[in-house]
Amino acid sequence: MHCHRCRRTANVEIRRSRIAFCAACYPEWFHEQVENRIRHERMFGKTERVLVAVSGGKDSLALWYALKHLGYQADGMYIRLGIGDYSRRSQARCEAFAEKWGLTLHQVDLKEDEGFEVPDLREARSGKPCAACGAVKRYHFNRLAADLGYEVVATGHNLDDEAATLFGNIVHWNVDYLGRQGPVLESTHPKLVRKVKPLYRLSERETAAYCVISRIDYIIEECPMARGAKSLAYKDMLNTLEEQQPGAKHRFVVGFLKEGRRALSENGFDPATDLHECERCGQPTTNRVCSYCALAERGRRKVIQLEARYAGLK
Amino acid sequence: MVKVTILPQREVREVEASTVAQLLRGLGLHRDAHLVVRREQILTGDVRLTEDDEVEILPVISGGRA
Repeated sequence: MHCHRCRRTANVEIRRSRIAFCAACYPEWFHEQVENRIRHERMFGKTERVLVAVSGGKDSLALWYALKHLGYQADGMYIRLGIGDYSRRSQARCEAFAEKWGLTLHQVDLKEDEGFEVPDLREARSGKPCAACGAVKRYHFNRLAADLGYEVVATGHNLDDEAATLFGNIVHWNVDYLGRQGPVLESTHPKLVRKVKPLYRLSERETAAYCVISRIDYIIEECPMARGAKSLAYKDMLNTLEEQQPGAKHRFVVGFLKEGRRALSENGFDPATDLHECERCGQPTTNRVCSYCALAERGRRKVIQLEARYAGLK
Repeated sequence: MVKVTILPQREVREVEASTVAQLLRGLGLHRDAHLVVRREQILTGDVRLTEDDEVEILPVISGGRA
């Protein structure tokens, strides 16, 4: 297989487009894809300050690296989630990356700042904290971005993430979530910063290849708390389909954004415009108390229970 | 037999395969969920492998994100 641009031996194939690139031309193609999406979806400009939500994984570090390469004003933010050794190694990757490239990295420490950690948020039924972890991250990314005056929060969600989320929302017919799924989530409240996903048309394999070629040191293993998560089962099913029909994931996501979402908006869904401030933390919510404050209370209660149990054992 | 190291656990396997695509198929792994690397170079599915080859397989799927 030969590079689509220079005809040298290819390293990365893009099966959905039936093209391939060598290691020298691939980053150039990747940057073009990111830049195209940012411009086409009017995500942000070169004068706006962007806060990149980083986890130490391939997608967020690839995004941060690409944005800096393209000349955007991008700082990073990492949340210390308290998932044992996995969190410590993720944090080390983010700090090393920021130091290597002279970038600003903001951090929030859940244990120190909020009195609980993600493992304290495990659901009784599934034993998994993934949904709660997502809510915690969204809350803190938004809050820090608003407090520090960032115009936009960018996340590393890729094509596989978007396809898996879309698939899950269809399986469960979460119409309101379907209506809100997209590469840009506009601000509907002064304290709500707009969210963008510049990698939403690039697959996980493509972001991983970008990291390998660009020598970005990221954490390879998945989060230990995510083992058995529904999103992984959806990704596996979608990759089985992709194996037989290259481009299926891309058509699924892009087709939904072009056709499906329009049909939903015509029939009405909750765009979360009726927002007011949470009576505890002041952040925007549709309820009296926001979902984060409810989660945080649950987490702190769990910490107190565990401490009491340990005290009883001594 | 091609010597394969599967990351992140660094599990070592010996697999009979003449191309990268065949190697992944033989291990029951999705092409879209893995990268195959030889001497720090990513390989496309059509690359031919020989008995002396040593490759690494890098999984690319992350999950649990909400």
